[in-house]
Amino acid sequence: MSKPNIELQKFRTKRGKRLLSHLISTSLQYKLWIAFLLLLIVLGFIGYYRQLRYGLVVTAMRDYTSWGIYISNFVFFVAISLVGSLFSSILKLNKNLWARPLTRISEIIAVAAIICAAVIIIVDMGRPDRIFYVITHLRIQSPIIWDVIIISTYLVISILLLYISLLPDIALCRDRLKEIPKWKKTLYRIMAINWHNHPKQIALLQKVNKILAISVLPVAFAIHTVTSWLFATTWRPGWDSTNLGPYFVSGAFMAGAAVIIIAIYFVRKHLKLSKYITNLHFDKMGKLLVLLSLVYLYFNINEYLGPAFKMVGVEGEHIIELFVGKYAPMYWFVQLGGLVLPIVFLMFNRFRKPLPLLIISIFVVLGAWFKRFLIVIPSLQHPYLPIQGVDDSYLHYNPTWEEWTITISSFAWLLLIITVLIKLFPVIPIKKYRQDSEIIFKQNIF
Amino acid sequence: MKSEKKLFRYFLEVIMAVTFIFVANITSYGQDELQDAIVTLSFIADGEAKIIQAKATDQDGSPIEDLELYFYVQRTFSLLPIGDFFNTTDENGIVEIPFPEDLPGNSEGHVKIVVKILESDMYNDLTLEVIKNWGIPTRVDQFEEKRSLWAAAANAPITLVLGVSSMILVIWFIIGYIIFILYKIGKIKVDKHSHFNEEKYFKDILENF
Repeated sequence: MSKPNIELQKFRTKRGKRLLSHLISTSLQYKLWIAFLLLLIVLGFIGYYRQLRYGLVVTAMRDYTSWGIYISNFVFFVAISLVGSLFSSILKLNKNLWARPLTRISEIIAVAAIICAAVIIIVDMGRPDRIFYVITHLRIQSPIIWDVIIISTYLVISILLLYISLLPDIALCRDRLKEIPKWKKTLYRIMAINWHNHPKQIALLQKVNKILAISVLPVAFAIHTVTSWLFATTWRPGWDSTNLGPYFVSGAFMAGAAVIIIAIYFVRKHLKLSKYITNLHFDKMGKLLVLLSLVYLYFNINEYLGPAFKMVGVEGEHIIELFVGKYAPMYWFVQLGGLVLPIVFLMFNRFRKPLPLLIISIFVVLGAWFKRFLIVIPSLQHPYLPIQGVDDSYLHYNPTWEEWTITISSFAWLLLIITVLIKLFPVIPIKKYRQDSEIIFKQNIF
Repeated sequence: MKSEKKLFRYFLEVIMAVTFIFVANITSYGQDELQDAIVTLSFIADGEAKIIQAKATDQDGSPIEDLELYFYVQRTFSLLPIGDFFNTTDENGIVEIPFPEDLPGNSEGHVKIVVKILESDMYNDLTLEVIKNWGIPTRVDQFEEKRSLWAAAANAPITLVLGVSSMILVIWFIIGYIIFILYKIGKIKVDKHSHFNEEKYFKDILENF
């Protein structure tokens, strides 16, 4: 019986072995996980087949609630895609070296999330074959067009960010990994574009890194601000607000940070990377999450206090519906369970340990998803110009099983893309700079 | 003996099947034998009231009684039914329906009136189209022609077009430039035998970063 590849592969350093061995060996756990995700995706395809076959009537969307969980899911995906820019730009430009090992995973999540966001929009279309009409019948005055432009731009920038940070590591995989299938060797060879750590190549890559770190920031802010304008430019209660842009952006950074915590918890556990993703990283991420949550709390107060104080017409009805009406349980779960309590808990050192932080982050992410539901759906059920004698089904929105399976499968797609990218490429940057190492050593991160 | 009987029975079955198909064809042919009706339209404007009068005759010129006609006005996306729910010809083959006074037409007030015979038992389907200037002329609002947020795509405000386009150009220029640098990285010729001091190089680069 031949030896497993992992035993045949020779690594030069312990660091190389720890960071590259998951690229060579495939565990049963990994295969089962992929099978589970594929099962969810197949269920989603059944739901989508029915939607294509019978039309959007299989969803619960009607004349009032014309945007359902597909759109709230879209906003959620756009939100978490912002996390790439948080690490690759904000933390990088501020020279937060502790965040370096988490940069790669944040970029992977950003790419996966923005792909899913773009696809879920097409799922929301009754006639997906008409997607190109958006280009051929382009109307620059429409915020939807701005969104299409900015999403495609951010998708390209996110892929570039990931690729550029990966490039030296891909070349390293090409040169050092011998016990891998031929297709993987070809993939690394093509993607490494003749990278050989040549001084000129390094200088050019440094230049690109700098340009990208600066230019991704306005694009990232623009993508979620434009997404908020899809709502803010539509005359509905709850959306008619000048606060919506920063409210969305701050919420996105908070949700993104929580997603990163969940991701690094599982990556650290399954890839045995506790030497590289340490308790200190969790502590720092916990503190970052508190900061981002406090900013979001501030915008939340701004968002609800004004309308709740005035209680004008339909705007007042909308507030009552959220505070004490049928959406009250969800609303208070989101505000307390997903925002206020996490802030309180994360103030204490003991809750910034990996497991408590993971649990808190799951609550934050759940809160963030339901928050998007609360932003989209209750507003649509209170139009400023109600239709007379509407059908009873217009007044309620309970997503159908087709919508749930498609939504769940979109999450399966997200996790599948993340898993495959982690399996193909080193999840912690292997090439490290000497200067970084010195500082990291002094800070006792590794 | 047995096989002969079987053959005879088979022969009988074939004959019966052929006969059945033949008779069925004749019957259906008889049902399809519909005539063409002749419908003439007159438009009577009596002061404010506008009446569409349709007269239906057969090929011999005799009036057709109890024939259902359908009246429509062509709108942008579909046909708007006008008249009663059922509009049936009288003993003289005539049916009259009032034309609504408030229907908008084109800029000159022209509307397309459509009269149809649909799924009649006796007559073939028929569609007549006549253009009349009975609609209310729709004045093209000069306001819509101006460049504005709510105008058509071609009339978008210039500031918006320039603003959005320049932002797109700037960011896509940067993306293009980055891809160009990646291309340059790929084209750098590497002499694998020359070794450089990687440690020192990284240090130098980072000190200048």
